[in-house]
Amino acid sequence: MSIRETALAVIAKVSKVDAAAIRPEMDLVADLGFDSAKALELLVELEEALGIEVSDEQAAGLNSVGDILAVVDRLQPPLRPPRG
Amino acid sequence: MTIDFADLPTNLREGLHRAALDSPQRGIAIFDGRGRSCERRSYAELYRLACESGRRFAALGVGRDEPVLVALPTSWEWMEAWFGLLMRGAWPVASSAAGAMAAAEAQFEKVDKVMAAIGARHVVASEAFLAQASEQGRAFAVGGVITCERLHAAAPAAEAAGRGVSDGGDVAFLQLTSGSTGVPRAVMITHEGAIHNPVASDEAVGAPYGEPMRRLTECMVSWLPLYHDMGLIGCLMLPLLCGLDTWMLRPETFLARPRLWLEHLGSHGGSFAPAPNFGYQLCVERIPADKREGLDLGAWRAALTGAEMVRPETTAAFSAAFEPHGFRPEVFRPCYGLAEGTLAVTFDVKGSGVRTLPAPRGTDAGFAMTEVVSIGVPIRDTRIRIAAPDDSDLPEGEIGEVHIKGPGVFRGYYGDPEATAATLRDGWFATGDLGFLQGGELYLTGRTKDLLIVHGHNIMPDEIERVADSVTGGGGLLRSAAFSVARGAAGEQAVVVVEIADSDPERLAEIGREIRIRIGRAMGLPLADLAFVRRGRIPRTTSGKMQRGELRQRYLDGTLERLHDREPEGRTPAKEPSR
Repeated sequence: MSIRETALAVIAKVSKVDAAAIRPEMDLVADLGFDSAKALELLVELEEALGIEVSDEQAAGLNSVGDILAVVDRLQPPLRPPRG
Repeated sequence: MTIDFADLPTNLREGLHRAALDSPQRGIAIFDGRGRSCERRSYAELYRLACESGRRFAALGVGRDEPVLVALPTSWEWMEAWFGLLMRGAWPVASSAAGAMAAAEAQFEKVDKVMAAIGARHVVASEAFLAQASEQGRAFAVGGVITCERLHAAAPAAEAAGRGVSDGGDVAFLQLTSGSTGVPRAVMITHEGAIHNPVASDEAVGAPYGEPMRRLTECMVSWLPLYHDMGLIGCLMLPLLCGLDTWMLRPETFLARPRLWLEHLGSHGGSFAPAPNFGYQLCVERIPADKREGLDLGAWRAALTGAEMVRPETTAAFSAAFEPHGFRPEVFRPCYGLAEGTLAVTFDVKGSGVRTLPAPRGTDAGFAMTEVVSIGVPIRDTRIRIAAPDDSDLPEGEIGEVHIKGPGVFRGYYGDPEATAATLRDGWFATGDLGFLQGGELYLTGRTKDLLIVHGHNIMPDEIERVADSVTGGGGLLRSAAFSVARGAAGEQAVVVVEIADSDPERLAEIGREIRIRIGRAMGLPLADLAFVRRGRIPRTTSGKMQRGELRQRYLDGTLERLHDREPEGRTPAKEPSR
């Protein structure tokens, strides 16, 4: 799974909306029914699924699915521990 | 061992000083945003910190009896600011603006409005807050922000508060609560209330054991926001005045990772921890069975639940989920309180868990309750009466408005004598809550006032309606109205009804979406439902006043004539409210 697909799968899981129906222009509150607790749950799930940390400043600007994908797109692939 | 109520500190400054002298080893540990590492300081250290900070505020020109906003997250900076202002003799006003709960712009807007409404010259905040406020051109950004750096750089004045000694009846701080004008109201809390209320709560919680809780408890573990009365009084003043250790998580840390609250309760032997109903519900929903392994809740002696309707289905689900991990259902302690009462009004003193009665006739259908929960008896020196609409006293078993009187009752709304006069008469505060007494215990059944309580936070409908009107251009002939309905364990959720001339379904969907977005941005509040209706469908009195209660009833009955309004695709359609 690409990083983007993983992110969409996480959004689908937290919002309980079918991943195929999720589009970038969707607003987290208006279209996916998120409250602040749900938004924070989503951040934690994304961080854990992708092995990233989202700062408070970054988090404050995340309003839509597209905003999240934009943050995710800028990511390097998660670092894996060296083998052996 | 009883508490000597004749020997309470006369003001909070003395209260803090006594904590430093009597419980010098006890103190507060505050976790960082990730909730993993914490910084602990004793009450003796807090006292020294507060004295020094008070002298710095004096040097910066902060006056006595001057309201100053504190817009910081739960942190030692918050403690330094709030208690420093207290030592200065100024009035600290904890603001939610620092929590990452709503969009930054909405937060600054709110700070702006509050400062104007209460005539505050200063807000204590972070450098990042100041930078953002300046960028947005906020007026208070020019000289009005005291950053922690600026505070530390100030050379302390010789004395913090000067010679004046505060009397118990003097105002100690202001507590913000939702107001009907779209601007929060500032509740004036006295020193006496801020001391008596938490100490009387300590006594009430310990009642089943015949000792105040402080004798039985090592520590409290809290995630409640300090800008909320349950966080400030229940989780800071109580442990401070009663000499308990406290572990504090930021509210946003709990919302992100609810397990941390229970984890820290277990690892620190936490025996005392409060939360509104939704906090327990969040634990049930977000900590699945496999993540409950390793939790040890055996030391928990008082799981207080208040600040919103206590729902038996939530406490039952929580008990079922966590009993295998040491939780005892009988430690659930329903309680009732509100900002205008400083905090606590009633407490369960039996200590046998959640007790209910079948919901009587007249229970608000919109709360979807088949049972009503006993929220206990009044705390010490506090009285309750149930008033009929003509203000006469009602006997036990009859539903009326809950009125309260006692040392915790507030002085009034700062700068709003009209709102004060409307609710506070001869020391009796009309709470706007409906309920009845049975065997001396209070049961809540509904509300007279148009107020939504979502996740323990009070929201006046006007705040939501203003935002909706800003989208539709309504507010004149076309109005919007907000109210809440409860759906089982999820608790109260917001519904908005909007009068509109348009009827094109595409256009309505667009407007509906914009309303949801703006309310989400401004208040962090999702809408459970949004209904469009024709002009005049929102009932009004002959003088034009909106009747939200009547509208809500029609909505619940299904007799509200809705226009065809299409929900945006992809969103789970809102279920019909259960009755």
